[in-house]
Amino acid sequence: MTRENMTDEASSPADGGDPTTDEMLVETSPTAGVSESDSGTAGGSRTLVEARNVNVWYDDDQALNDISLEIPENRVTAMIGPSGCGKSTFLRCINRMNDLIDAARVEGDLFLRNKNVYDDDVDPVALRRRVGMVFQKPNPFPKSIYDNVAYGLEIQDKEGDYDEIVERSLKRAALWDEVEDQLDESGLELSGGQQQRLCIARAIAPDPEVLLMDEPASALDPVATSKIEDLISELAEEYTVVIVTHNMQQAARISDKTAVFLTGGELVEFGDTQKIFENPDSQRVEDYITGKFG
Amino acid sequence: MARTDYQTSLSELRGDVLYMSEVVAERLRMGLDTLDRKDDDLAREVIEGDDEINEMYLDLEQDCIDLIALQQPVASDLRFIAASFKIITDLERIGDLAVNLGEYTLDAEQDLFPDVDVQRLGDVTLEMLDDAMETYANEDADNCFDVADRDDELDAMCEAASELVMRDLIQSDRLDEEGEVESTMQDVSRLLLTIRDLERVGDHAVNIAARTLYMVENDDELLY
Repeated sequence: MTRENMTDEASSPADGGDPTTDEMLVETSPTAGVSESDSGTAGGSRTLVEARNVNVWYDDDQALNDISLEIPENRVTAMIGPSGCGKSTFLRCINRMNDLIDAARVEGDLFLRNKNVYDDDVDPVALRRRVGMVFQKPNPFPKSIYDNVAYGLEIQDKEGDYDEIVERSLKRAALWDEVEDQLDESGLELSGGQQQRLCIARAIAPDPEVLLMDEPASALDPVATSKIEDLISELAEEYTVVIVTHNMQQAARISDKTAVFLTGGELVEFGDTQKIFENPDSQRVEDYITGKFG
Repeated sequence: MARTDYQTSLSELRGDVLYMSEVVAERLRMGLDTLDRKDDDLAREVIEGDDEINEMYLDLEQDCIDLIALQQPVASDLRFIAASFKIITDLERIGDLAVNLGEYTLDAEQDLFPDVDVQRLGDVTLEMLDDAMETYANEDADNCFDVADRDDELDAMCEAASELVMRDLIQSDRLDEEGEVESTMQDVSRLLLTIRDLERVGDHAVNIAARTLYMVENDDELLY
């Protein structure tokens, strides 16, 4: 399934493409666990990803418990919470990575631009072209820097000037200046921070709408981390970024919205990052972010 | 409870700010006593004691900076530290105003206006300061508004006192007495400055209540 026919599918309760209908959907959608002031559009940005009553089980263990939230377009949304709270599970729901886990069972609705990604007619592979992902540990292929970036384009038979796309992707990933003279060298020769930016370049080369990042800087030193953080802010101008991080200060620094998951796969609070870190509504969130538990 | 050392540091900061407020309130009381009794020795004690308050202020400022830099506080902890950071500035200024009272005492030559009840003004400001610090100690948002309301009364009292001085000065024949003009004007100025300084103590007490309200409720209603 291509991006076009996914977007044009008519199975969503709010058919894609009509801004008026989209806004009506946003205004009337359920917002369990979401601050009232944060429902609907966020800072003038439209909702791109919307979860409605999403539940996930791994065999008999419930990993996500009735999650509803709306992720705004062209913003950075952070997912924080203690280990095992379900934040990475939620991230993997967005591009159906959980499909790859036999024991995983997903219920509920998850819309990408008003199309339910769990509808039978959605091709997960096509979905993942629209929803790129960067993992905790940099995982470049044992190929040249150029081929690492071009790989995603090749397997999609994507047309276009690969040289131009590779250069643009490396520039967007803030890596071009460091590697432009060594594009034929192995991606594995780069430093950890450079490898992670190479993976980001690879993820954005197919020009996805959403970029999922699962602790992208946790394996990096402070300098490499700060480069990734700067990069994330810049990427949000082009893409919708959803990041899972254990580093609460990182979430505070780089995100516009923060979702706090707590034990049991529960979304306890979701709202503007400033509000979450200065005056959260939930005492449980207050206790978690101030370190009184967890 | 996690982060035990951090929680201990927050408790210590609260205790140290309250201790500083007790020292400052004591100095203000002493400053008022010096005016009441024309006690030059006590006045010098207040003036010389300002270094101690300044050092306390600098130490607590550093404690706040350390907590922010090293512990990355958020939410209510962050508001507590931010409020404490501002409150110690108000306390340090009140200490300066107590010093002013001591200096006025040393310079004063005569009590020209016995009708102006400086001690009453001082008592009101001390009560406001005590109550403001009590809101901080007890995280009592409700009484913050009470402190702010009383500042209006204090302002009215100070304005009435200043008018009394000016009216008495105009109506009396003190300025007609040869050789008395300069010393009279200096004493009048000192009295007006005393009234103004006590009014400013009230303002600082309101600031403390306002910061406490922000600290407790994330409410900036009393901040200017």
